[in-house]
Amino acid sequence: MPPNGRSHRDESDDALATAFAAHERWAFDEAYRRYVPLLYSAAYQVLGNADDAADCVHDALARVWRSTDAYSRTRGQVRSFLVVCVRNAAISRVRAQNRRRHLAVRLAAEPHEHAEIPQSDPVERDRLRAALAALPQEQRVPLQLAYFEGKTHTEIAGELREPLGTVKSRIAGGLRKLAGALAPPEDRT
Amino acid sequence: MNANDHVGEMAALYALGALDDSERAAIDRHVSGCTQCAGAIVVAEEDVATIVTAGVRSELPPSLLHSPLAERRMRKPARSGWFAVAAALLIGLLPSAYFWNQDRAMHAAMASHAEALARLAQPSVRTSAFVPIQAGMTAHVMFPEDGSWYVVVVRGVTKALDVVWMHDGQRTMLGTTQSYGEVAMLYLPKSHRMDRLALLDGVRVVAQARLAY
Repeated sequence: MPPNGRSHRDESDDALATAFAAHERWAFDEAYRRYVPLLYSAAYQVLGNADDAADCVHDALARVWRSTDAYSRTRGQVRSFLVVCVRNAAISRVRAQNRRRHLAVRLAAEPHEHAEIPQSDPVERDRLRAALAALPQEQRVPLQLAYFEGKTHTEIAGELREPLGTVKSRIAGGLRKLAGALAPPEDRT
Repeated sequence: MNANDHVGEMAALYALGALDDSERAAIDRHVSGCTQCAGAIVVAEEDVATIVTAGVRSELPPSLLHSPLAERRMRKPARSGWFAVAAALLIGLLPSAYFWNQDRAMHAAMASHAEALARLAQPSVRTSAFVPIQAGMTAHVMFPEDGSWYVVVVRGVTKALDVVWMHDGQRTMLGTTQSYGEVAMLYLPKSHRMDRLALLDGVRVVAQARLAY
């Protein structure tokens, strides 16, 4: 319980993180309450489907809860830790779907085609769209393939026919630049 | 990536989920002993969270209104009193080989089957063990005298197993166990009396239970 009978909702992010690391039940529920829209968005941006995204959020969080040592304070804030957990779970689903699709194609002995990405336009907010558009194309394209389509840097390098090291640098640079453009003014460095 | 290499730009790929499993595992190993790289990962994960925040969706599906833990607790609100009593009885009554207190997987399984739990708390419930069983695995079926319902509990296997009724040289499919971590369950709320059940891994029978009424 939080000290002095205060409401869980009054707890700071740091206090929440400490309790979350200690596997306290109230911290899990409070983190869920605070971050579920964000976690749902993280899953939706990858999966492009509301039901799959909701299912993915519950699965990922249930897994975090079952694993008593999944989170420690060295992992940063609970918010970003959970976002990455949910994103990874969503990416795993997409990759599994792609593997099944490729297997089905092979079994059917049909000619191989590039897998279609179901999302038509997963970017939901103008600000994100504008910030993405402001990135140089050589950073934007590999970053989008990693962020929205869950592709590995090896797959991206193959698809773009660029050296692995180049792709790696462009994704890393693009991520920093995009996050810098989207961060609240007080967080910008 | 070598064990001594710092993560550098790989931190961004790690946070984005753009690494394959072996690359990710290599970074996990390195970061466990390198605070500098752990910090780089934290920064990259914050960057990813910032981008997700910019595209956050305002609508939330009803299924996400409660946390996975709260949902289990609230799924059968009318039975919450029953649940507490039944859980206490169940832990005391059933074979301690696979039910014990503080077992989160078992609690999750039980919480999702509140009705089964209430039934299992009845004193007349019978238990039969499945045999043979592979190393590290136990399985039991619990049922009432009249065979009107059945609960199959399997511990120690991660994959789902099919449960079939063996009769007259035939197998009738009853359902598939649902996994809750280390424990898997199948609850058949309405049934007729059966005296022989089997667990199937694919088409292979891995264990059978004879039910004495």
